[in-house]
Amino acid sequence: MNDKLRMENVTKVYGDGDISVKVLTEVSLEVNAGEFVAVVGPSGAGKSTFLSIAGALLSPTSGRIALGGEDITELTPPELNQVRLDKIGFVFQSSNLIPYLTVMDQLLLVAKLAKTPRKLAEAKAKELLQRLGLAHRRNHYPDSLSGGERQRVAIARAWMNDPEIILADEPTASLDSDRGRDVVQMLADEVKLHGKAAVMVTHDQRMLDLCDRVVQIEDGKLFE
Amino acid sequence: MFLALRELKHAKMRYMLIALIMVLIAWLVLFVSGLAQGLSSDNASSIQNMNADYLIVQKDADHRLTRSTVPEAQLADIRDFAGGSSAAPLGVQMTAVTKAGETKKLDATLFAIETEGMLAPPIAEGRMVDEMARDEAVVDISFKEAGIALGDVLEEQMSGQQLKVVGFTKGQSFSHSPVIHVNFKVWGSIKSAVSRGGTGDGLQYNAVALQAGAAKADQIGESISGIEVITKDQALQGIPGYKEEQGSLLMMVAFLFVIAAFVLAVFFYVITIQKMNQFGVLKAIGASSRYLARNIISQVMTLSVASLAVSIALTYGVAAILPAGMPFDLSPQLVVLCSVLFLAVAVIGSLLSLYRVVKVDAIEAIGRAA
Repeated sequence: MNDKLRMENVTKVYGDGDISVKVLTEVSLEVNAGEFVAVVGPSGAGKSTFLSIAGALLSPTSGRIALGGEDITELTPPELNQVRLDKIGFVFQSSNLIPYLTVMDQLLLVAKLAKTPRKLAEAKAKELLQRLGLAHRRNHYPDSLSGGERQRVAIARAWMNDPEIILADEPTASLDSDRGRDVVQMLADEVKLHGKAAVMVTHDQRMLDLCDRVVQIEDGKLFE
Repeated sequence: MFLALRELKHAKMRYMLIALIMVLIAWLVLFVSGLAQGLSSDNASSIQNMNADYLIVQKDADHRLTRSTVPEAQLADIRDFAGGSSAAPLGVQMTAVTKAGETKKLDATLFAIETEGMLAPPIAEGRMVDEMARDEAVVDISFKEAGIALGDVLEEQMSGQQLKVVGFTKGQSFSHSPVIHVNFKVWGSIKSAVSRGGTGDGLQYNAVALQAGAAKADQIGESISGIEVITKDQALQGIPGYKEEQGSLLMMVAFLFVIAAFVLAVFFYVITIQKMNQFGVLKAIGASSRYLARNIISQVMTLSVASLAVSIALTYGVAAILPAGMPFDLSPQLVVLCSVLFLAVAVIGSLLSLYRVVKVDAIEAIGRAA
């Protein structure tokens, strides 16, 4: 079971009948443990839809998708919720931290949703923050952090539940290139360290050398 | 509670404002309820505290004691059915009295009773009227505030009848005036003085009080013509002004509950709309709709319980410094009832927000630069 994410002939069609739009056509992708894959492509090519399907936020119209060896194609929305909680870590475009939680609580919330014992969760959160250089920011609220720090908190949050795969949606969009590079580097390091996988959607060409593999999406089709 | 409390703590100002509104509304609810209760007993405690289950009044008297007349002959009929000691005659006359030697009039209601019968009120001070006495009365303790003491003599306005105060009762009022209890000897002489003629046709009563079960009451109502058997509650409604007074206060309380529901609904709805994107993120990282719904409910509950606690304290605080004559009576049962209703209304008010939260799609989190 080496493939963390496997998508087979995934097609997504929005709408129905005359006005249907095919956003993804027969997309297949396999991401293995320890692999960091970048997905690039122009806007409107279907990157967000691709990520939403990989992230169990959307169901494909046809095709199959498996996460960490478990087929999730047929699951119900509440089951998908659980899958997202257990197997997927998200890093969003502008970090999307909860404004009224401290850095520490952002991480503990995830543990709480997964019903992890508090002691364990605290130890894990402390360790993650230490590793990502955020230990001194533990009790700060998001609005007093810099953009790079916020993105690092988001990465720490994504790792909190020990997911199979990290999905990052343009994590560097709101950062300058040095900060952005730091963040992506961190993501790459974590992937290698834990033998997990990560998929990053980006159109920032400067980050691609940090990734193991680059795939392109154009007009809903995926090219290696 | 994890999210709920942290958010309350972080956005103190925002939630303090809404809590303040809730405190004011709950305070008003409790205060008006206490006032309604107080006025109700101020108005009619004599009927409420009466040791009887039913009152028999004249048919077509509109349930009004003051309009009804029951002749002495009918009392005998009723007693035949009910048994002698479980039916007692009652005379009611609204009047005014003056303290002997003074000119200031005091409103009062005369209640004529059999002093050894079931309608005799408990005596708080002094003694009960003697059954045979020609000039004795027991009066409600509120007469003390008008400077009446034991042994004082009151003069009834219509007849000039002298009434010697031999005792005080507690919680006896009718139509917002204190009640003076007299025996039927005194009643008879007042009535005959007023009608200036003989009392050849015997005494007239206003009603007959009855201690009996529903079946017996029905039987009496059907067997004797010209009378109607009503419950004490119906008799209360028949007191002039009682229904209107309670009705308007009740309407105020009902409106306050509706207002509370809407204020909360709008507040949480707006806040929820504002946080749609956040809820999307939370769902994307695996929070279920149920978790988020619980979170909103616990926020509403925390706010409501805290506001209620403050307003209950405020209500009792204000009640403590009210003047003694103010009719205000807030029982713990009433407070509990109002509080439970208030919490229920708060939860109903938050349903709209819950609906929105359940409908939030986690996909909102993707591809948005928030």
